[in-house]
Amino acid sequence: MFRSPWWRIGWRNLGRNRRRTLFTTGGLALGFCAVVVMGGLNRGLIAEMIGNGTGMLDGQLQVHSSGYLPERSLYETIGGRDGTDVERLVEAVTADPVVSASTPRVFAGGLVSSGEATVAAALIGIDPGREPNVSTILSTLDEGRLPRPGANELVVGREMARQLFLSSGDETVLVAPAADGSMGNDLFTVAGIFDTGLAELDRGLALVPIAALQRLIALPESRIHEIAARVEDPWRAPDAAARLAEPIASAEAEAKVSPWTTFRPEMVSYATMAEGVEWMLLVIVFAIAIFGVANTMLMATFERRHEFALLLALGTTPGVIVRSVLAEAAVLSTVSLVVGAVITAPILVWWKLAPPDMSWLYGGTTLAGGLMRPILRVEYPWLMIVEAAVALFLVAVLAALYPAWRSARVPPADTLTGR
Amino acid sequence: MNRRALQLILAVLVFSAVTPLTERGSPLAGQEAALAEQESARDIVDRVDRLMRGESSLGTITMDVVTEHWSRTMEMRIWSLGTDYALIRILSPRKDAGTATLRAGNYIWNYLPRVDRTIKIPTSLMGAAWMGSHFTNDDLVKESRMIEDYDITIAFDGLREGVEVWEFDLAPKPDAAVIWGAINLEVRKDDLMPVWVRYHDERGDLVRTLTFSEYGQMGGRLVPALMEVLPEDKPGERTTVRYSDLEFDIGLEESFFSLRSLRGDPGRR
Repeated sequence: MFRSPWWRIGWRNLGRNRRRTLFTTGGLALGFCAVVVMGGLNRGLIAEMIGNGTGMLDGQLQVHSSGYLPERSLYETIGGRDGTDVERLVEAVTADPVVSASTPRVFAGGLVSSGEATVAAALIGIDPGREPNVSTILSTLDEGRLPRPGANELVVGREMARQLFLSSGDETVLVAPAADGSMGNDLFTVAGIFDTGLAELDRGLALVPIAALQRLIALPESRIHEIAARVEDPWRAPDAAARLAEPIASAEAEAKVSPWTTFRPEMVSYATMAEGVEWMLLVIVFAIAIFGVANTMLMATFERRHEFALLLALGTTPGVIVRSVLAEAAVLSTVSLVVGAVITAPILVWWKLAPPDMSWLYGGTTLAGGLMRPILRVEYPWLMIVEAAVALFLVAVLAALYPAWRSARVPPADTLTGR
Repeated sequence: MNRRALQLILAVLVFSAVTPLTERGSPLAGQEAALAEQESARDIVDRVDRLMRGESSLGTITMDVVTEHWSRTMEMRIWSLGTDYALIRILSPRKDAGTATLRAGNYIWNYLPRVDRTIKIPTSLMGAAWMGSHFTNDDLVKESRMIEDYDITIAFDGLREGVEVWEFDLAPKPDAAVIWGAINLEVRKDDLMPVWVRYHDERGDLVRTLTFSEYGQMGGRLVPALMEVLPEDKPGERTTVRYSDLEFDIGLEESFFSLRSLRGDPGRR
């Protein structure tokens, strides 16, 4: 088929009116470029949201006692009343190939009080050595330092610090209902203050070394509520959770492994919705393109109706005429695709490697519970690139169908006699 | 949490003793009972409701809390004045001894002897459990009165288990800021002693039951010495409060209920 002279004729026809070809090619190439770059930005936005949303505190994988969520009862520790071998469990989770780090946590609700002011807070017991490998919250410390393991120290959010008039080095009282029914209370020193930009964390969260929190709420060191783990590519977390379920369950009769897609379903919904937007973009851009291409082809074939009439008069079948026009459109779309790829690739690569800082225009915002840094991040939209290429090709060929059909129905005698 | 109707808990937990009952047992009792029957339901509840207003008292209670995960017994001393002021100090167990709660008006402070600090309970925590029991901080504070927030009707009038009682239905008035959907209250006719209170949510489901028993003379008055709270959503859990001694009209002033007293030594009056 590609040997047929019609391909060469199609190619040469593009050279007949170079300016027109240039505009059509440019239009299609720019459409392709726009769709792919927008798709890349969209993927970047989704990745940013999921990465920050799960990376700030949750982690991409969590292990709990199966009865822990959603009530978060103090008593529902991994391994039940007897607790678990925390070190061994952390190692077992970290052993998975896609898990880069994991860390144990204890949760409690209580009061943080300083002077006249008291606020209710979620207290999370963390391992100051391991936590920074799993979540990014401790990297947002804008004052002070990490709490020392086992010490009666804590880090609180910026807004809580403001409400309690705290700065690092100050003394606070923590009060929390303990597992033995008593009111756990003790003095803690503020080691540092974090500023995540997420209001609910900055206002209502205090991080305490895990052993100190266990002392406060009368839990032995073997009793923890959660193991949180980091998976660099969040989309690989569900598979990792499925892989880990068996070894974890065999070690801890009642433990359950969940990926972020289960405990942050709103992020999955948002990602699905954002991906749907890509289709709308594709349809809109190429719907506009199809009319542009159809118009050009209609003009081009109208100019050549004498040629088609002669060919028909010499015995060429209408089918061959249709094929020749479609071949021209196919050549046009191929050229557009090459041009499109040539202008898109450097933009995408440059953008990916050096995402522009937009903080001069807007600050950090939150989306579906995830913090968005003020940068324009792109991810390579591989699927979108293929979709856009196919769409571009189809658009050019579809747009040529009507002009081709018209060309094949030129009445030879009337046209050649100028009637 | 619960609003108005918890007046009764307060009444017994914090104050106890029943003013009109001092006259009970006199030859006038029969006449009074007859008179009471003619009163509207609202008037009767009003009388039960205001039993302890304006009285000062000092009592010692034993509070047993049984939950799914632990049970513990606490001994406490309670000073009170009217419905606005109360000071509760834990005597035992040793781990909590000296811990104290001060209620003045709508505010609650806790004193923690271990760290020697006083903490004001924020509004957002008023619904939280008080000292791990099935009472909430709010139960200690709410003091507006049942007759102001509820439409009251007599649901039953007659003999139950050999005792003449009234059962009242309390339905919240349309604009009342209360959390209960309905309250039922049973009161003994002859001495106006409360027998039980049942709290229902908006859907009409029973949420918790408060029962009174062991009526007896204490500090010269008739009081229910035992009170029990049974939360409906946690079967098997309960909090019981039992008075071991109780005095009335001990001459406390408002100034007694200060942060200084809150921190003060347990022996101090």
